[in-house]
Amino acid sequence: MSRSIVIVGAGLAGLAAAFSARRAGRSVTVVSAGAGATALAPGAVDDVPWERAASAARVARVPLVRRPLAVDVAAFADALGLWSIGDDGADVARIATVAGVIRPARAHDRALLDLSTIRGVVIVPRAPRAAWDADALAATWGASPFARAQGLRFHAAEAALLRHKGERGIGELDLAARHDEGDRLDWLAARLREALVREAPRGVDAAAVLLGPWLGLAAPRAEALSARLGLSVGEALGGVGSAAGLRFEAARDRLLASLGVDVVVGRATRLEVEGARVALTVHGKSDLVVGDACVIACGGVAGGGIVYAGAGAPDRARAAFALSLDAPVDLAIGGVRVDVTSSLNGPDLDETAWPTPGAEGALERVGVRCDGARAAPGICAAGAAVADRPRTALEAVAAGLRAGREA
Amino acid sequence: MDVVVLGGGVNGTGVARDASMRGLKVALFERNDLAFGASGNSSGMIHGGPRYLVYDPAVTATSCRDSGNIQAIAPHLLFRIPFLMPVADRGPKMRIFFDLLDGFFEAYDQYQPLKRGKPHARLSQAEVRELEPGLTGDLVGAMSFDEWGIDGARLCVANAVDARERGASVRVGCTVTAIDRRPDGAVEAVRFRDRVTGEVGRLTTKVVVNATGAWAPLTASLGGLAPERARVRPGKGIHVLFDRRLTNYAISAFAIDGRQMFLLPWENLTVLGTTDDDYYGDLDHVRATSEEVRYLVESIARVFPSIHGARAIGTFAGVRPTLYAYGPIEEALSREHEIIDHAEHGAPGLYSMVGGKLASYRLFAESMTDELARVFRLPGRCATHTTALPGGDEAADPFAMATRLGVDAVATRRLVYRHGSRSARVEDRMLARPREGVTVCACEPVLEAEVRYVLANELARSVEDVARRTRLGLGACGGMRCAARCGQIVAEELGLPPREGVAQAIRFVTKQARTRVPALGPDQARQEAIAMASARAELGIAATADEDDEEPP
Ligand SMILES: Cc1cc2nc3c(=O)[nH]c(=O)nc-3n(C[C@H](O)[C@H](O)[C@H](O)COP(=O)(O)OP(=O)(O)OC[C@H]3O[C@@H](n4cnc5c(N)ncnc54)[C@H](O)[C@@H]3O)c2cc1C
Ligand SMILES: Cc1cc2nc3c(=O)[nH]c(=O)nc-3n(C[C@H](O)[C@H](O)[C@H](O)COP(=O)(O)OP(=O)(O)OC[C@H]3O[C@@H](n4cnc5c(N)ncnc54)[C@H](O)[C@@H]3O)c2cc1C
Repeated sequence: MSRSIVIVGAGLAGLAAAFSARRAGRSVTVVSAGAGATALAPGAVDDVPWERAASAARVARVPLVRRPLAVDVAAFADALGLWSIGDDGADVARIATVAGVIRPARAHDRALLDLSTIRGVVIVPRAPRAAWDADALAATWGASPFARAQGLRFHAAEAALLRHKGERGIGELDLAARHDEGDRLDWLAARLREALVREAPRGVDAAAVLLGPWLGLAAPRAEALSARLGLSVGEALGGVGSAAGLRFEAARDRLLASLGVDVVVGRATRLEVEGARVALTVHGKSDLVVGDACVIACGGVAGGGIVYAGAGAPDRARAAFALSLDAPVDLAIGGVRVDVTSSLNGPDLDETAWPTPGAEGALERVGVRCDGARAAPGICAAGAAVADRPRTALEAVAAGLRAGREA
Repeated sequence: MDVVVLGGGVNGTGVARDASMRGLKVALFERNDLAFGASGNSSGMIHGGPRYLVYDPAVTATSCRDSGNIQAIAPHLLFRIPFLMPVADRGPKMRIFFDLLDGFFEAYDQYQPLKRGKPHARLSQAEVRELEPGLTGDLVGAMSFDEWGIDGARLCVANAVDARERGASVRVGCTVTAIDRRPDGAVEAVRFRDRVTGEVGRLTTKVVVNATGAWAPLTASLGGLAPERARVRPGKGIHVLFDRRLTNYAISAFAIDGRQMFLLPWENLTVLGTTDDDYYGDLDHVRATSEEVRYLVESIARVFPSIHGARAIGTFAGVRPTLYAYGPIEEALSREHEIIDHAEHGAPGLYSMVGGKLASYRLFAESMTDELARVFRLPGRCATHTTALPGGDEAADPFAMATRLGVDAVATRRLVYRHGSRSARVEDRMLARPREGVTVCACEPVLEAEVRYVLANELARSVEDVARRTRLGLGACGGMRCAARCGQIVAEELGLPPREGVAQAIRFVTKQARTRVPALGPDQARQEAIAMASARAELGIAATADEDDEEPP
């Protein structure tokens, strides 16, 4: 009988762990309780937090280039089929955010528009939706140092993208879902073509079209549209819970199915290690999920994995932070165990919780204490669940792959 | 200028209005923003303060009387707050105390007509439980009493806007750096510096009114006086905001150390307050600490334990400029005000307004302006209690407006609350440009037209200023959804570089987060971390806006 691995969490880290464990011939069960950070993130994929990468490049006066991806990370990305990862050493991708910033990214969801290769005019269609003021966004993006250095110009243009009046007020995911419907892509292409034709006589020679985060939930819509219009079309990066997260979930489910992984939907509440076996209790299920080793990939504070507990909640008052499942591992910040209780309910967060230009915030650093991938005998941890690792997508993948192998 | 007023709190704007109404040439300088200090961070109660009744009934009477006046000139800004004061049953002593309390409130009832309040009621334990099921423990019963609330920031803005419309010059974000005096000691001019543009200037004037609240001693020293000449006791107070209405009534309770405190449903939120501690830190950066938050939460939990399960979404803090008196314990300090004529310190023409309360600002401003009238030999009398503040002249119907505009009535109700009859001006914008009918901040909610209106007409210069005037970004989302959009609008309306809008959004989001973290409770850390990740992904919180995506040279 092959060794069996139990994985808690189906974000990027858990998925990557499942991927490498299956590749190594193990049988795998993933237990997961719904959306985590991966499913909420808007689609930029970094190896190190982009602000850090950008400021390091600035200090060293070197251009920001894509750092090489490990072979197994590239293979995983390929199997997931969701991202545009570019060539090692090439310029990093540049993504426009709906907040008006143009930021670098190592890789990205394929529906997002990469501005790094575009020169000339980017059309920003006007759409009567809150938070999408094409004129203000075009002005803000256009004024960014990147756009100025690259000679990129942003041009707001009239385009009747909404099909019904009711679409002004619906949520972004709903609008995105509508772009998956039947002939909607044709319709959108026709409207954009009209807009381009209207702008051409005004001397606007468009190189790309930048849309809000509502291009669709199904995978490469942007590519189909780009092919049809003969120029790059893509989305701007949206906020928490935009379409990119749903695209991830769809791609993940396809990958898990093709890998032949058992999936248990439910919240793990307790993890026990008995000799060489691990046993996981899942809320509401009578059978334990058992295996030879376990990977904790239940996300960071953000993922819902770690609960900030304290004096106010007597049942959890023991520790300032607690893992959402009861497991025999230590939590740490900066390599030091967190068992202090000082401020309102836990460590003194007043000054340290949020990041500053020089340092990461405490909430980004708290997690399972690990030596490599190993957290305790029989238990590995990966992704945002681990203390003091960068909270990035590619870090979660790399750590997941390693944990899957080690487990 | 005849008069230069320093400070855009309720006292400074109140004097600027009164003096302008009486025909003086007035300039007001505000270092940060209108209502930046105590006035925008108070508990917002226009009360006579029953707690002053015992040792200082004069404060109670003046405050109650002027509460009635403020209701008359700004009816849109006031809202009734019915309070419950539960009394725990801890033996016969408490039952005697309950009877005493009854008598006390009977005395307070005398003042209620002055402010259109209802007389108190003595409630049994069963009645209390029915009204407020969340109150636990054995109770002797509870007293009910009536107070009024106000949005202090709106009150300052209304006074400043009115002063301006009557000819005053009002400069925000502009700090006075020196008060120049002639060789004979008399006031001659003020020097100022715009903290955004760096512009400096000098303005000659006959009189300077120092209405800088807790900053008053520092301000006095700008005129070469010893700071003690305008001494105040800086009493820091904090509030915790929760994401929903936790109770039906406001609850008045006693803290662990016997101080009085309250839990107050406020629009769609709940406010828990407040503390009173000596504060000698930086007045431009007053923030709640987790120690203070814990003190309040643990205190109210004794009567309202489910507070532990509530979600705190932020804190706000201010420093009271309390009259200085040597030695007494903090709670017993009087809130009465005093006008200091610095002629007695060799500086004729310089006055300091110290102490005071939101509730009695108008009276305080009236006394100050009476003094100015004497100096300038003006015939006119004070009319600030009979002349409506902007928006206070007529009632507006939020429901009819919602129908006319096709927007949510929740949004128009807030709009009418903040602007009174002047909400019609915001409506006109929307009718002329329907695009401005979109919601910028969904939590509160705030419409784009209002954001543009306050930038064009209410002296707002930044995302933070807009938030102070409209409550944009102060709800459950902490500005995550709306700060960037608001920054774009600020840049557009004020003709700033678009990147400045992004920089302001980053500053606002970070500042809001700093007020939130001291109150982070169980289960809220994840929301916070998601907010952090999201701010990082979209804006880049740990980079400065000018550099975030700059190419190497
Ligand atoms: C808004 C936002 C923006 C971001 N932007 C970027 C970016 O621009 N670039 C970048 O590189 N990274 C970004 N990130 C970070 C990145 O998404 C995360 O670091 C990464 O996705 C973490 O993956 P994970 O698998 O470790 O955790 P998660 O994706 O959180 O997965 C954890 C999973 O475990 C499950 N789980 C938790 N507890 C239990 C339990 N007890 N039982 C069963 N299941 C459980 C959760 O439901 C979830 O499915 C962003 C994150 C957010 C939230
Ligand atoms: C926690 C708390 C709760 C309170 N609750 C209540 C209540 O419920 N009811 C009530 O009636 N009262 C209450 N008060 C009291 C009330 O808020 C204050 O007494 C009142 O707001 C004082 O107003 P002010 O104009 O004197 O000072 P502030 O509002 O503090 O204004 C002073 C202004 O001066 C500006 N300034 C400083 N230096 C300079 C300079 N050099 N040049 C230009 N400008 C300068 C500052 O930026 C500031 O905006 C409370 C106060 C606090 C702190």
